[in-house]
Amino acid sequence: MPKIGHFVLHSNVLPQITAGRYQLRTEQSGLPFTVSTETTHVHVSAPRFTMPIDQIISSFPPANAEGAFGDRLPQIVLKRRTLPWERNPAGSAQPSATPWLALVVVAEGEAELSTATPVAECVTPGTTLLDPNDRDVEQGLYLSVTETVVKKIFPCQEDLALLTHVREVDINDTELANGDDDGWLAVVLANRLPVYDTANDKPVRYMACLVNVEGQLAALPSPASPIEHFEFALAQDWSVLANLAPVGGADKVIMGNVSLAGTVAPGLFSPRPGPMAPPRAPLAASSLQSQPLTGASLHGGEAMQRAPLADQWLQTTKQIAAAARDPDAKRLVRDTMGLGFRYPIGVYALEKVFRFPVLAHWSFTTSDGATFETLMQDLDVGLLGTLPVPKDPEPGEPEPPPVPESGPEIVATGHVGLDHRVRRGDAVRAWYRSPCVPFPTARDGASSNQPLPLAHAADQLRRVIPDGREDLTLAAAFEIGRLLALSQLSVVSALLRFRGEQFGAGRVREILAELLSFDLPKILATEGAGHVDLGRFVAVQMIDALAQNTERMLGPQRPIADPGREIRFQGDLDGVIAAGLGFDLATLKRRSETLGLQAALESTAVPLAGKLGQVSLDEAGLASLRGALQAELTRTLDVAAPVRVVRPRGAPAAAAPPDALDELIGSAPPDDEEPGEEPQS
Amino acid sequence: MKNLITADVVLGATVKAVRDYADIITDRDPDDGEHVAPGELRRFLARLRLLHGVPFSYLVPDAKLLPIESIRFFYIDRAWTDALVQGALSVGTLSSADRTQLEAVYPHIQREVDVAERTIRRPREEERLEGAGGTITGFLLRSRAVSGWPNLHVRAYSRDVLEDDALSTVAESDPARMKVLRMERLAPAVLVVLFDGVPEVVHIEEPRQGIQFGARLDPEDPPAQRRAKVRMRDNLTGVTVPPKDDFTSTNSLPVPFRSGAPGVIDIAKLRDRLAAAPPTNSGGTLEPNEYALQMLRFPYRQVFGDPRNTQDKRFYELDKFKVTVALPKWRQTVVSSLGSP
Repeated sequence: MPKIGHFVLHSNVLPQITAGRYQLRTEQSGLPFTVSTETTHVHVSAPRFTMPIDQIISSFPPANAEGAFGDRLPQIVLKRRTLPWERNPAGSAQPSATPWLALVVVAEGEAELSTATPVAECVTPGTTLLDPNDRDVEQGLYLSVTETVVKKIFPCQEDLALLTHVREVDINDTELANGDDDGWLAVVLANRLPVYDTANDKPVRYMACLVNVEGQLAALPSPASPIEHFEFALAQDWSVLANLAPVGGADKVIMGNVSLAGTVAPGLFSPRPGPMAPPRAPLAASSLQSQPLTGASLHGGEAMQRAPLADQWLQTTKQIAAAARDPDAKRLVRDTMGLGFRYPIGVYALEKVFRFPVLAHWSFTTSDGATFETLMQDLDVGLLGTLPVPKDPEPGEPEPPPVPESGPEIVATGHVGLDHRVRRGDAVRAWYRSPCVPFPTARDGASSNQPLPLAHAADQLRRVIPDGREDLTLAAAFEIGRLLALSQLSVVSALLRFRGEQFGAGRVREILAELLSFDLPKILATEGAGHVDLGRFVAVQMIDALAQNTERMLGPQRPIADPGREIRFQGDLDGVIAAGLGFDLATLKRRSETLGLQAALESTAVPLAGKLGQVSLDEAGLASLRGALQAELTRTLDVAAPVRVVRPRGAPAAAAPPDALDELIGSAPPDDEEPGEEPQS
Repeated sequence: MKNLITADVVLGATVKAVRDYADIITDRDPDDGEHVAPGELRRFLARLRLLHGVPFSYLVPDAKLLPIESIRFFYIDRAWTDALVQGALSVGTLSSADRTQLEAVYPHIQREVDVAERTIRRPREEERLEGAGGTITGFLLRSRAVSGWPNLHVRAYSRDVLEDDALSTVAESDPARMKVLRMERLAPAVLVVLFDGVPEVVHIEEPRQGIQFGARLDPEDPPAQRRAKVRMRDNLTGVTVPPKDDFTSTNSLPVPFRSGAPGVIDIAKLRDRLAAAPPTNSGGTLEPNEYALQMLRFPYRQVFGDPRNTQDKRFYELDKFKVTVALPKWRQTVVSSLGSP
């Protein structure tokens, strides 16, 4: 196991078999008789359409976070090390080094996250899965993306293996292991940097989806020649659909009887090169022709300028935070995080739309480029008392107008000149220096030049320095200390009590010394050279002795709980119960042999003395009832509280079984024994 | 033997009582030892010494002394904090007898509060450090980094014992690591930290959220042509290729992107490039785990110190008096090596 703070990276951990249903056939031959074949069914289960919460150790960037995540790859850490390889994405039963999981990062408007859907519909129609009946849940989520988006942002098939690895850490390392049980974790990385929109200078909301690529490897993009730099633009922007979906639904767009001017970005439904076919429905021609057709520019920026995106994601973040307070939060938060990813792309898209099952998803927002690193490096560093240096003007530029000098009056010793109104009412300037000074100072002596061992009033700490002004530094410190102490009653009382105790102990001792003819012994404290007065010394020694021998000085501890007393009854338990309920046990037993006990009990009528309110008893009946009650009461009391049974004094008591207390009393040393142990009636 | 208590006797006893009984032990705590001043008072005064509760305008008398996005280092003026404590103790001194008694007991209180200062923020499982009050230093940080990155790590070292980009940290008990006496956010974006001694380097580190992977985007690029680089590591040792603080053509590679897709890295192509680069020592191929090693990025650590300073070359006079070994441990060492006295 690696050391704390270290970890080992492994390329993959392949399971021996993949998930699915297996049949074990056991045959035996060569025996003089035939042995029938034994068939055992084994089901190796693994997540397929949803990731159990306990398998997700952590994800980065944090869910619903806002920050400069632009140069970090999103990742998800899974608990079981073999999880990414437990299925073969190519659809065979053999384990493969290509994982079936991929982490895909989509920006808001690029793809659609479905609501809960039967799992059979969670994959692109026409995809064949190995054993479609092997499903972990009935309903799952899917990501619906157009072919264009898949080609742009999904990982290539050969990327999949590179984006997944296994990390081995020490389980005691809280930072790395994060609560894992065996220290082996599978990590799935995304292939896309969630960059900030520098082109339009606004934050972008992303959603990371852990998708299942099983059976759909062919849909993944093939390698193309790379480029060295990129420009931020959405792979495809469907966010305009947010504006029309609630109004008339998709029908109106398809039927062409609605004007899209002003609601749909120009060019969305115009013919464009590439795999997209011309729109099926004629759109409002006048509105579109008047606009310049800008080709395939699904220009996200323009569409979003109408409502600043910053407002949009702020609102979404708030909605998610509000959803987290709901009691049904687990489902709701996941659901709310899909906000902004719910455009019905499948209805409108004119190209092939793929569906990928989403096992886990979370969203986050990349905000502007102020990373921790840039913030730290741009800090103005100095000792307290230094003022920020004004920037030098660039050569050639005109001098900036001189800023009116409004800075504080600071001198090299760290003193600041402040307005001071003296007690006579004159307005003067005085010096003040905070406790945070730009150089080391002497504690006492030269710099403070304190004539007194201890100041009793703030005025004793006022200084006049050679320039004639007063230095009120220490006086101000004294005064604020006094006020802070006075603001806490407990401190004031502790202080007064402490001084009173010390003084009282001293006075008693001094008066005694004066009156007694012999010298009082010096009492030293147990450690150090301090003294201690006799009363406190005795008290402290006493407590110490008590604390060290609790068993001896305070007595043994009683057990926290007593064991319960046994209930005593005579005869067979069934018989007792049946007699109590008025059953005939023998009949019941006989009947239960044929009917079963349950049915026999049901068919036995419960004997009732009579209906409520209709009981009429004569004197003899009452007397016999009373007698029975008395007998039963006596018997119960005999069991529950044997010492209280009325019996002649001196007769030997029927001993109750000893309980824990009795045991304790019995084990006590004999000198503790007291008379009067005999029960009194 | 006298049997009469006269005014003379009482007066004499009173004078002696206020003057001579300053070292009476009034507080005895099994965990804390014997003390003249009661624990409650000691802890209050120690917190006061660390400027708990002191209004911010007393610390920074003018807002211009702590501008936006700035860090200001300082020494704590012991004369100031002593005046603060004296002010607190002056509460309820009515007569000259009270004041005489306070004067007599003040040296004890001062000594005990010096010790208590170090226990206000003692990490669990760490040894108690005892000793006379030394120099206290610290800094005030006013930055968006304080509000945006809660739980950032601050560490101070009396000697520069750690490489600036080392992944680990030195244990809290290391003698070179300075004890943090106070670390508190005074306002959402203002952090105050006090150290026990004069640090040579101060590290401020991004809160760790596990290991992360990524590339470095160049902030200077125009928005239409954004590029990224990845720093290479030696596959055999895991060490980054020098130079440490710069992205040069010898220690980093440009990241290939998929055309038409913002921010999507061409993972396979980047693997080929990393595998082909000699500094990675990869032998031409790169397995997924080796690839992950190359893409690792660690939390950012800002180091404050003297840039000219080379390791272990500087010596602060004041650090001679800084406590680095707990007193019981020192005693134990002396006894075990010299035999009991």
